Amino acid sequence: MSEPKVALKINGIEKSFFGIPVLHGINLSLNEGEVLGLVGENGAGKSTLMNVIGGVHLKDAGTIEVFGNPYEPVSPKSAMNEGIAFIHQELNLFSNLTVAENMFLENFPTGIGKVIDYKKINQKAQETITQYNLPVKPTTVVGTVSTGICQMIEIAKSQMGNARIMIFDEPTTSLSHSEKEKLFQTIRELQKKRISIIYISHILEDVFKLCDSIAVLRDGRIVYDDKAENITQEKLITHMVGREIGQLYPLSDKSVGDEVLLAANNIISEKVKNISIALHQSEILGMYGLIGSGRTEFVRTVYGLDSMSSGEIMVRGEKITNLSPETCIQHGIAFVTEDRHGAGLLLSKPVADNLSLVKLRNILKRFKVVDRKKETETVKDLISKLNIKVTDPKAQTADSLSGGNQQKIVFGKWIAVEPDIFILDEPTRGVDVGAKFEIYSIIMKMAEQGASILMISSEMEELMGICDRILVIKDGAISGELKKKDFSQEAVIKLAL
Amino acid sequence: MNKIKEKARRILVDTPILPVLILYFIASVFVVPNFATVYNIKNLFLQVSDVLVVACGLTFVVLNGGIDFSVTATLTLGSIIGSYIMAMSPIKHMPGLSIPAAILAMLGVGLIIGLVNGFAVARLKMPSFIATTATNLCFSGLAVLLCMQLTGKSSIYGLPKAFIILGGSGKYFVVPIILSALCCLFCYLLLAKTKFGREVYAIGVNNVCAEVSGVNVKKVTVLIMVLSSIFAAIEGILLTARNEAGVSSLGDKMFTPIIACVIVGGTSTSGGFGGIRQTLYGALFIALINNTLNLLQVEWNWLMLVQGVLILLATLAGIAVKKSRKLNVIGGGA
Repeated sequence: MSEPKVALKINGIEKSFFGIPVLHGINLSLNEGEVLGLVGENGAGKSTLMNVIGGVHLKDAGTIEVFGNPYEPVSPKSAMNEGIAFIHQELNLFSNLTVAENMFLENFPTGIGKVIDYKKINQKAQETITQYNLPVKPTTVVGTVSTGICQMIEIAKSQMGNARIMIFDEPTTSLSHSEKEKLFQTIRELQKKRISIIYISHILEDVFKLCDSIAVLRDGRIVYDDKAENITQEKLITHMVGREIGQLYPLSDKSVGDEVLLAANNIISEKVKNISIALHQSEILGMYGLIGSGRTEFVRTVYGLDSMSSGEIMVRGEKITNLSPETCIQHGIAFVTEDRHGAGLLLSKPVADNLSLVKLRNILKRFKVVDRKKETETVKDLISKLNIKVTDPKAQTADSLSGGNQQKIVFGKWIAVEPDIFILDEPTRGVDVGAKFEIYSIIMKMAEQGASILMISSEMEELMGICDRILVIKDGAISGELKKKDFSQEAVIKLAL
Repeated sequence: MNKIKEKARRILVDTPILPVLILYFIASVFVVPNFATVYNIKNLFLQVSDVLVVACGLTFVVLNGGIDFSVTATLTLGSIIGSYIMAMSPIKHMPGLSIPAAILAMLGVGLIIGLVNGFAVARLKMPSFIATTATNLCFSGLAVLLCMQLTGKSSIYGLPKAFIILGGSGKYFVVPIILSALCCLFCYLLLAKTKFGREVYAIGVNNVCAEVSGVNVKKVTVLIMVLSSIFAAIEGILLTARNEAGVSSLGDKMFTPIIACVIVGGTSTSGGFGGIRQTLYGALFIALINNTLNLLQVEWNWLMLVQGVLILLATLAGIAVKKSRKLNVIGGGA
């Protein structure tokens, strides 16, 4: 058997931003038809490396070869010309245009007077749609189809552009279970067509499932690069964080109290069909459900963000009237949203402003003037309590920190007001392995101190790891409840599907 | 050394207009004839007071990511109604009664227009530029109609002497300067020191995050629109006193210099960055430019052109600052 052709070869890539080296001489090689998993903590340099390959950032040193030919990326267009395509976690389709328009956006076939030849693009788009078996029409507006389908459209589009190398950056973050399966199937089909793939993900199970070889990036260096069958998941994590991680979930001997802190009774809203829950003191209640099951809509309704058609929210037996985020906070409820960037943080504002945002109401002097001294103390206290890695909280903006530290800020702004009920929606999404453990520890500690926690997650393992009880949501209703002793992946999935 | 550098960088990012303002002022002292005279400096400060109050109010709206086109209509309508009360109503011969009544009425006009704008933006979710364009048209039209109906002319004269003091006639020139400085100080404290001010910034950056964090976004938005209109009305009081008349065309060409103060000062039009300090520097700078070009006997149209170019430059500078921050982010994230 002959040596496989090398599709992409990276030699000694270096990149610094403002004198701070981010990539220290990266060497990496990707064979034709190979799936290479690229893993690493947030801030390890994965995005920077991909941006160098994609022509978004210019490299400082090193060479790149594509199928043996030198490749000097200067703009995203260079990558496209070389047949390198990116599938990002944020999709790059225009939601106001049709499927066909999106597919031909860069290169519309035009007729007389530069008029777009719609007959032609719709016909060609239909061919691709049929080939990939997508449940859309060429004239479907992209904004009306699900994220998973959008991703398929992007993949199909990249194949129309004859991409030879495809880079998937966290492609599964917003996919449902079945969409994920379909994506994996598509990736395997691409592989059969000798397409070379780099697959970046935090979800190590997926990486092991898909990839032929795995490379680990840590602090701008490749610290491991070998065939996937030569390494175990535990070893991989050790390489990623650079130290041994003894356990994945913190242990605790806390016991669940009898008092019901939060009760939601017969909640009905647009996507929620009659859900009732009772959350006890010191309890961590997990909530699992596929995307679109109504779990996020349920907690948003409980928190007063979405309107409720009927039902009531009781805190320690007292009904909340005028349900709104403001009244919820007054009753000691905190809400960590699933979308950290969109709803959790003031990204472009300093860390300090973010940490004190909720606390402001409690540190006012006369005329509602904010007590700066107390504010500074609060911020300092939170940073040390949560071990947030920031040097100057008044100058460094939230978006300059890594995903894990950003999530700690979101937790911090709530912990500042010492709520006793936490609603957490995907609290570890986009957070790397090391920081995940820290976040679990924060959650566990809050529960030990008597707080009740309602936690939504798509990661079954973490729910089974830290929850006392799991509710499974399906089609806007509770389809089952599992006690700790009955926890198993099969049981959860069975209830969810 | 590093500390000085850091401080200089802060000034450049936060108030890039400040060094320009200082340099321009120094240059004017040496280059522009009759600039460095007591009379002219007094004039300069009066010119600042002509826009500063309304610009401070508008700053809240711009910080919130919105715009308020109706400020000129507010000050005009207030001017006509106030002047009517003082010069034509049955109580016109009792200045002790008519002046406070007129001032209250003018503030009332501000309050009502602010509430209308606030309702449209916060409750009906109308974009502020549409809502305030509409209210601007309605209320400036109303001002002209009202004035014509009442007097048959386009202005109302015969205001009481005590009221005109507010405009700074003769030896009282410090009155409007002090009043506008007080308004500016009030806005500064409100924005920089209070919970409300923090909430204005938070909504300007990310209103979803603000709402989740317990900020009553609707209430704050209404308050912002009301503040803008009230300060426009206060400016209307000062200008009416200065013109010694209620003029139905008072606000006609004012919007450009007002928004110029806010934007040239460095408050970002996309919301969340900037503040009253910036607007103060902006107002000083715009007044300085108008003043010096006047002294150099440059035509009014050139003035407009210069203001246009300045707004463009300031916006470009804002984009550049934003970009440099973004780059920093990538560097810091790794």
